[in-house]
Amino acid sequence: MSEFLRSYLTVAIFGATGCLLVGAFVGLSALVRPTRPQAQKYLTYESGVDPVGTGWSQSNIRYYVFALLFVMFDVEAVFIFPWATRLEAYGYFGLVEMAIFIFILALGLFYAWRKGVLRWV
Amino acid sequence: MEFDNNWLLSVMTFVPLVGAAIVMAIPKAEEELIKWAALITSLVAAGLGVFLLTDFNYDNAGELQYVADAQWISVINSRYIIGVDGIALPMIALTLLVVPLCIIYTMGHFPEPRNPKALLSLILILETGMLGTFIAQDLILFFVFFEVVLLPMFFMIAVWGGDDRRYASLKFFLYTMFGSALMLVSFLAMYFLADGTIVGDEANTFSMIALSDGATVGIARTSQLWIFAGMFVGFGVKVPMFPFHTWLPDAHTQAPTVGSVILAAVLLKLGTYGFIRIAIPMLPEAAAAWAPFIGLLAVIGIIYGALGCLAQTDMKRLIAFSSVAHMGFVMLGISTLTDFGINAAVFGMVAHGLITGMLFFIAGSVKDRYHTLDMARLGGLLISAPRMGWILGFCAMASLGLPGLAGFWGEFPAILASYNPAAILPEATFRGYMVVAALGTVLAAGYLLWMLQKTAMGTPKDEFVDNPEITDVKTYEWIAWAPLLALILALGLYPKPLFSTTDDAVVKSLQVNVMDDVPDCLNLDTDQGEACFDDLREQFEAAG
Amino acid sequence: MLNILAQPPTDAIPTPDVAWSGLMPLLILSGGAVLLLTIVSLAKDFIPRWFTPIYTVLIGIATGVAAIPLWLRVTDTPSAADPNNGPFATLDSSFGVDGFSVFFTMLFAAVVVLVALLANDYLRREDIDGPEFYVLMMLSASGGIVMASANDLIVMFLGLEILSIAVYVMAAMHSRRIESQEAGMKYFVLGALSSAVFLYGIALTYGATGSTNLVEIREFLSNVILLNDALLLAGFALLLVGFGFKVAAVPFHSWTPDVYQGAPTPVVGFMASAVKAAAFAGMLRVFWLTFGSYRTDWQPVIYGLAIATLLVGSFVAIVQTDVKRMLAYSSISHAGYLLVGVQAATNEGTATVLFYLAAYAFMVIGSFTVITLATGPGDAKTSLTDIAGLARTRPVLGIALTVFLLGQAGVPFTSGFFAKFYVISAAADANSYGLAIVAMLAAVVAAFLYLRIMMAIWLDGDEVADPTELAAAKAGIPVPWGAAVVLVVTVGFTLVFGLWPEPMIEMARDAVPALAIG
Repeated sequence: MSEFLRSYLTVAIFGATGCLLVGAFVGLSALVRPTRPQAQKYLTYESGVDPVGTGWSQSNIRYYVFALLFVMFDVEAVFIFPWATRLEAYGYFGLVEMAIFIFILALGLFYAWRKGVLRWV
Repeated sequence: MEFDNNWLLSVMTFVPLVGAAIVMAIPKAEEELIKWAALITSLVAAGLGVFLLTDFNYDNAGELQYVADAQWISVINSRYIIGVDGIALPMIALTLLVVPLCIIYTMGHFPEPRNPKALLSLILILETGMLGTFIAQDLILFFVFFEVVLLPMFFMIAVWGGDDRRYASLKFFLYTMFGSALMLVSFLAMYFLADGTIVGDEANTFSMIALSDGATVGIARTSQLWIFAGMFVGFGVKVPMFPFHTWLPDAHTQAPTVGSVILAAVLLKLGTYGFIRIAIPMLPEAAAAWAPFIGLLAVIGIIYGALGCLAQTDMKRLIAFSSVAHMGFVMLGISTLTDFGINAAVFGMVAHGLITGMLFFIAGSVKDRYHTLDMARLGGLLISAPRMGWILGFCAMASLGLPGLAGFWGEFPAILASYNPAAILPEATFRGYMVVAALGTVLAAGYLLWMLQKTAMGTPKDEFVDNPEITDVKTYEWIAWAPLLALILALGLYPKPLFSTTDDAVVKSLQVNVMDDVPDCLNLDTDQGEACFDDLREQFEAAG
Repeated sequence: MLNILAQPPTDAIPTPDVAWSGLMPLLILSGGAVLLLTIVSLAKDFIPRWFTPIYTVLIGIATGVAAIPLWLRVTDTPSAADPNNGPFATLDSSFGVDGFSVFFTMLFAAVVVLVALLANDYLRREDIDGPEFYVLMMLSASGGIVMASANDLIVMFLGLEILSIAVYVMAAMHSRRIESQEAGMKYFVLGALSSAVFLYGIALTYGATGSTNLVEIREFLSNVILLNDALLLAGFALLLVGFGFKVAAVPFHSWTPDVYQGAPTPVVGFMASAVKAAAFAGMLRVFWLTFGSYRTDWQPVIYGLAIATLLVGSFVAIVQTDVKRMLAYSSISHAGYLLVGVQAATNEGTATVLFYLAAYAFMVIGSFTVITLATGPGDAKTSLTDIAGLARTRPVLGIALTVFLLGQAGVPFTSGFFAKFYVISAAADANSYGLAIVAMLAAVVAAFLYLRIMMAIWLDGDEVADPTELAAAKAGIPVPWGAAVVLVVTVGFTLVFGLWPEPMIEMARDAVPALAIG
């Protein structure tokens, strides 16, 4: 087996172990738990919203705040993780840059807070 | 007088603009003050014009005088060059004469809706535009003034015009703008293709002096033809020449009286002036190639205009169509490319300005009295307003080219010139044109006498008998008309001063002055002439 | 952590040099926006109403003033005394400071000042007052500066997005008007699509040339002969689509009429001036400056775009009845003229585009100022009959609008005349006589549109307004001070540079872009 393929062997073993573990735990719990089937339990369940009515439904407009906050901090994380791993290499310049970046994001959050969008009314 | 007076032309040109600003500053209620301010402004400009006429050196009329040359937009080498020579002088005089007369006329009878402030300032702005076009010696300056003229006239028709004023004013504006759009491209092409260094200017130049002196000799023949075509459309729309003339009857019919007068007397001349001042001197070779075609359109215009006249029922529209025919004579004279023909054309421009301007004045006064210009309803002017009837008769005679009146000296020499066009042009063709044009004079007599018969002769129609509104010529009309009538007669009896003023400048405009002993290519036979232009180009290329 | 930073790292990533002076205008403008947001967040209840517009105007002026020393520096040639003179680049050659970018910086600063003055009254009238408009406008203008200065395709994209996203929100700002919402949504969806296309274009160009840096791309293109340039040409095409959308070139113009009609009028003024200018800045930087050696490939495409834009813009405008829509189509036909200048692909052509953009920016802001004032509260009465007789009811507005319309029609003694003239002369210089003729004929058609509006405001209106209403209108409705300043400035600019265009032309000529390394 070539060196190249051998390195993938690790991945394969890792994947197999994972599948095995998940299978083992799910199987174990199936063995030990009581089984009382109900129609309710087989419904699709999504973020606390009942799947009632047609597929075209309107969700509460207030969720947009979550969406915005999620986008904000999600993007932040995407930038911060790689930055953190290479902080030494960037030096002070990188530190200041990231501080500015976080400051601007925080300013957005601050503005939203002052604007009153964070209150759930 | 030997003092430096190159400011004269600028002051004369911009005085009306200042006057317009003053008029606009006067409150609307002060109507009399507004009128007097406008009149005085135009008289000041006219006074400067009189000074110009006396001070002008007629022995040297071929050269530009009062030249001023200042920086304007140096990045494109467009300069504020102005000057006046024997061709421009009569045009300037005509403008300076007609505008005060128009103001006097409006002071006596104001067109509806009133608003003297707006109308008079528009007339004054228009005067600046017209004078500027005639003094400009730089293509961009020329173009700017040429376009400036458009707007006041547009508003004049659109606000004070007849029932169909919207349509007429838009048509006027868009037609002219269409022409000038192509013209501008031609100017630019010339700017980039000509080489001003031949005549000691910068390589790319808009200077009309440099370009007429021969900076253009190096341009390839095909390019010259195209450039000329663009200018042809631009000037031809303004003249207007036959296929581009349809805006004219509408504009004239709808325009208020003074608008029609200015349009006929001066604005149409901007087109023919452009041919004489720009198109032909700068591109003689292309002019020679296009001349038979221009001549053809000119005679078509003569016949078409005349036939158009015979089909009209509206007096003003008839006069408008007669303009198409008369400008056809002017263009025929120009297309011969001889000094004789072009002198006739300049004379024809002045004569047409005086006579047709006068006819429109009368038409306006008739309209004020009868509230119609429908020739079927008019009649008996000689009975109800005898003096006005006689004036109309006089102008009609002048217009049809009666010897002894100004119109004759525009038409007759133009026809004569086409018997003997420049040698480079096909002689037989032009003789054919001559015959047709001569027929046109007969038709002109036909329609003008017909108009006279319908309006002046006979007895007044019942609806107008004893109408107190129908009065004879009023004082303000006398003041406005007398100078025109006197000039029509004076120039008719003694045309020499005008011919001698224009002659030198016309001769010079037909020469290529690039090198000392340049052969006169226009006066060689067709083949030799074209070869001569080619030689010239080669010589230039060898030298450059 | 700090002692980690203190040690010299073994594999330090080189920190780019920052020429702060070159970034100054950008920092003032974007910093000003962020600061304004901070101030209003902190002290929302203590800030008087007049503060935000005045603040924005001051920031705009400061941006312009900060650009002046830069202008003097970059348009000068290096000398013994000042070896630093001339164009330079900073941030690892990704941000170029040259006459071109500084020219646009000053233009954007002027636009910010004018639109802020105009918006002050408008926002109050429409009861949508707040700092958001001003913040977004300043941010958007900073995006424009970034676009005009970008020396790297990624930076260009960054600028484009900063510019656009703010404008999407501004278009939808009038939250009670359904048309405004529609405009915002339409602009956003199509704009996002065009951004994506643009980004794809960057990717393809990168694939073909191996760099996103404009300097390197240019070096590559002039030194390497590509055997197969399909990838590169596809990149050109996609980039052109991206720019074409922003400048509203046909066939990427379909959003323009709806967005112009729906968006708040001052925002439309901003879009027509700043967004168009920024997009043309980017287009010139990328196509003329960077892809200059491939001009025979892209020139014909721009030639075609220009003709289509000119014709569609001027002909379709004829049948419109809504003034804002008319001006939208007129802005399309102006884009056509600007493309004529771009197509020339000469330094002179670039200068003509700059002159045109400056002249047009002032005219169009002026026009929309008049429209804002004339249409009254609600922003909905924008049809031609609604403004009929404007010149009689409110003569000041009528005269100002007439000046702007004449300017846009290219009548002499307005800056619009020289703008058109200058563009046509560039086309003639590049031997594109066909294009020059089409452009001039389109001008005639477009003139009809402007004449129609002029006729409506001067001649119509008798039947619409009854005498009492007319008298009331004549007596009242003063022009707010902010808008009055805008009108004076824009009319003045249009007329002064119409009589004496020299200084502006000189500036536009000095502002030729240069790709500097730094």
